[in-house]
Amino acid sequence: MKGKRIIEVRDLYKIYQVGSNRVHALNGVSFDIYKGEFVAVVGTSGSGKSTLLNMLAGLEPPTKGTIQIAGKRIDRMNERQLVAFRRNNVGFIFQSYNLLNTMNGIENVAMPLMFRGVPKAKREKQAAKYMKLMNVLDQAKHMPNQMSGGQQQRIGIARAMVVEPKIIFADEPTGNLDSHTTMDVLHLMQRLVREQQQTLVMVTHDNTLASYADKQIRIVDGKIVSLEYGERGLEIEGEDAEAEKQLSLGAGAQQPQQEEGEPETASRERKEQGVSENE
Amino acid sequence: MKFKDLLGLSISNLKRRKLRTFLTVLGVIIGTASIIVMVSLGIGQSELQMELISASSSLTTVSVYGGSSGMYYSGSSQSGQSEEPLYITDEVMEQFASLPHVTGASPMLNYYVIAKQGAYENNFNLVGVSHEYMENIPLGEGSVPKAGDKQLSLIYGNMIQRDFSNAKTGEGYWSTGEEPDVDLVNRPVFIIFDPDRYYQSQNQNQSAQDMTGAESGETVQPVTPPKKYIIPTAGIVEGGPEDWNQYSYSVYCDVDALKSQLKTVFRKDPIPGQPTNKKGKPLSYFVYDQAEVYVDDMDNVKEVQDMITSMGFQAMSNVEWVESSQKQMQAQQAVLGGIGAVSLLVAAIGIANTMMMSIYERTKEIGVMKVLGCDMDNIRDMFLLESGFIGLMGGVLGVLCSYLISRIINALYLRQQMQEAAMYGTVMGDISRIPLWLVGIALVFAVLVGMLAGFFPAKRAMKLSALSAIRNE
Ligand SMILES: Nc1ncnc2c1ncn2[C@@H]1O[C@H](COP(=O)(O)OP(=O)(O)OP(=O)(O)O)[C@@H](O)[C@H]1O
Ligand SMILES: [Mg+2]
Repeated sequence: MKGKRIIEVRDLYKIYQVGSNRVHALNGVSFDIYKGEFVAVVGTSGSGKSTLLNMLAGLEPPTKGTIQIAGKRIDRMNERQLVAFRRNNVGFIFQSYNLLNTMNGIENVAMPLMFRGVPKAKREKQAAKYMKLMNVLDQAKHMPNQMSGGQQQRIGIARAMVVEPKIIFADEPTGNLDSHTTMDVLHLMQRLVREQQQTLVMVTHDNTLASYADKQIRIVDGKIVSLEYGERGLEIEGEDAEAEKQLSLGAGAQQPQQEEGEPETASRERKEQGVSENE
Repeated sequence: MKFKDLLGLSISNLKRRKLRTFLTVLGVIIGTASIIVMVSLGIGQSELQMELISASSSLTTVSVYGGSSGMYYSGSSQSGQSEEPLYITDEVMEQFASLPHVTGASPMLNYYVIAKQGAYENNFNLVGVSHEYMENIPLGEGSVPKAGDKQLSLIYGNMIQRDFSNAKTGEGYWSTGEEPDVDLVNRPVFIIFDPDRYYQSQNQNQSAQDMTGAESGETVQPVTPPKKYIIPTAGIVEGGPEDWNQYSYSVYCDVDALKSQLKTVFRKDPIPGQPTNKKGKPLSYFVYDQAEVYVDDMDNVKEVQDMITSMGFQAMSNVEWVESSQKQMQAQQAVLGGIGAVSLLVAAIGIANTMMMSIYERTKEIGVMKVLGCDMDNIRDMFLLESGFIGLMGGVLGVLCSYLISRIINALYLRQQMQEAAMYGTVMGDISRIPLWLVGIALVFAVLVGMLAGFFPAKRAMKLSALSAIRNE
């Protein structure tokens, strides 16, 4: 069963200006993500994982490069369009849960549906369904400050899932959980995503966790250094997997010590490569 | 996002910082109440003024005075009659009555008389007026004489009785504090229609007494005292001896009855106060020194007044008074409203400050909502609703407060008025009046001020970065 590409990232740069210093958080990144894939972005602290994820979710504009999601160039959208895009396509799981303290569990889960204008009874029914799946239905009437971290994160995951989005972004979703709960949460996410053919992009610095993914994108200093496929990943991408490796690593490998003045030409090369390989 | 949900979010946000919300609302309460109370004072004052004007005389009445001499020419007759003074006669009264917008006209024949009862006497103007005029006088006792009644009967002002003084000593209520022993209703009152002769005969008696001891050579033509007539009392104007109104000090009677009475008293002799022709002979008709013309509507008073003036008469009405006092009142109202508006402005700053605080506090929350796809307009509306809600609550409570304050002011004012009324007699009424439109405007204004104050904070909230949700401060 072969999937379609849902996220296409080409030659992505993010350069932060801190005083007179230029920090290259992302230094020319290209990759594809296929529909139904569970992708882990792995790397050490400060390697640029969060930066990448934020740009994919349209929370931050790239300095250079293109991001295409479900056929739409989100790097060209304004903020209003991005918000609408997220509302309709994206679920987001935060490292620090970020539940709204004024709302109880079920209200938090139902919130994205509220933004879509779903009536209260309907959205709470839907929310209850996902809370049950995440095993936190008993927390429906509890306020976030009455829950444990693990419970809060399950609520957070239910909140991301409740709109049944095409894509779910998760930044260190298990960062604050113990190893047992981490595994629990991870399996749940994996199951849900597989059942509903959703695409999950998870950022983590934990190699063990990453190994559960269908595809691992390893980042060091803002560059992709390796692509690793799981069994299911290969199944989804099929013969494209090799081309993907070429796209993500090939160009970078050819010009490992790229200078700042030249990425223009380099990116064009890569784009051409990308196009030919996609045939 | 549904409006109901937006509203729910806004209210739950207001609830979580109750004290802060309350303090901000308090600012709006004070602002709204001060505007309402201030404006209500302005309205009360101007309405009181209007009531005062209309109590002292009608707002739709034009008072007409005869042209005093050849100074006033009749607009129509430019012939040789210009020396003849312009008199208000029955013929002129008919002309007045036929003017457009005029509903009626009453002559006013002022005639000075002396009234006597027992040892007490009083002098006053008898005012001969039309039957319609008399019907508008509020009576406490008796009734208006029938129309066409030939017998003269009098309506006394309610302050006349106390005004009688002892004819011998000259003492009255004003000096002794004792009520004069006079009863205008149950005991007969004698009226002397020729006061001059009465005084002459009195003086002559005096001087005759004085001269008894001295040489009494010159024979003075003796003046016989004038005849006294018993004139029945038709009624007394409403109110006790201290309740002043515009009829209190006058005595009214039917003008035709008065005329026929005067004719029987003086026969062929000239009637005092009535003009004579060049030869010094009395005129064959009566001349009124004053008349009142009634207009259908206040807006037409000026027009009628101008027409009468162009006929050569002096015409006066309260229109100018009303207009100038209304202008003055409007200026005063603007100042009062302005003072109130300043406090609402301060409240608006309070709202803006509260909203800014709230946004700083909720930066992360707003970020989370944006990440989860909450429309930017919804975020803005949520804050606008919050500030609008503060305005509304402050407005509603402010209205309630202003009713309370208004009551207190009126109670205090009433006490002061009672003291003044005892001394001068004034129009009573509330000084602070809150019409419904003022309440409506104040509420709308409070909500508007709230939303306006929340507008820039709300815009700011809308533009907050979604990234702030992910970054931990
Ligand atoms: N707003 C910013 N301004 C300046 N530099 C930034 C900013 N955000 C990130 N960086 C820098 O970009 C680099 C990548 O940061 P990023 O947050 O993506 O790392 P990360 O891989 O998510 O690390 P961690 O695992 O610790 O979360 C870091 O060197 C960081 O200092
Ligand atoms: Mg990170």
